[in-house]
Amino acid sequence: MRKIVLLCNAGMSTSALVTKMRKEAEKINYECEINAYAAAEASNVAKGADIVFLGPQVKYMLSEVKEKVNPIPVEVIDMMVYGMMDGGKVITRAKEVLGDK
Amino acid sequence: MDGIELISFKIISAVGEARSNYIEAIREAKKGNFEKADDLIEEGSKIFIEGHHAHSELIQQEASGTPVVPTLMLMHAEDQLMSADAFKIIAQEFIDVYKNTHSK
Repeated sequence: MRKIVLLCNAGMSTSALVTKMRKEAEKINYECEINAYAAAEASNVAKGADIVFLGPQVKYMLSEVKEKVNPIPVEVIDMMVYGMMDGGKVITRAKEVLGDK
Repeated sequence: MDGIELISFKIISAVGEARSNYIEAIREAKKGNFEKADDLIEEGSKIFIEGHHAHSELIQQEASGTPVVPTLMLMHAEDQLMSADAFKIIAQEFIDVYKNTHSK
């Protein structure tokens, strides 16, 4: 069971993306728990996570978050993917980074 | 996906990334990397326009007689847009201040 954490300013727009991602994960039977939070909570909420995604609006926090959650991999969601709320692409990226099939 | 929701997301992702660029620009200027800072502002401004276009779609829709039903996500998008817009001005001022102190 993978644990995926999404972070943005208030965890608001990422919450909508979470819903799409859960649906996509269910479709392909990818066992994971996906939740969205505010980036300020990074160190607490990323505990036990396998991967952390940042919304493009908090891209500037990348190095800070990486330091806080080390050694958990941190990725910035592509602006186009985010703008289209393409949950499937984010799941695919998570699987790639984690080496899951 | 609902049209308004998609447009809201287009706005949030574009202006949000622009805002992120403006903040990074201030940080680069702080380190004395002024060329990088200027590039980040320029790149941010280009991305911001994409969000602005998406926003215009809604304004045009309303102006043509089809009211836009506001959602919390749309309000969030408006908020992000305003914040990004203001951040550009602040970032540019900060960069100027860093340039001034740097040359002294």
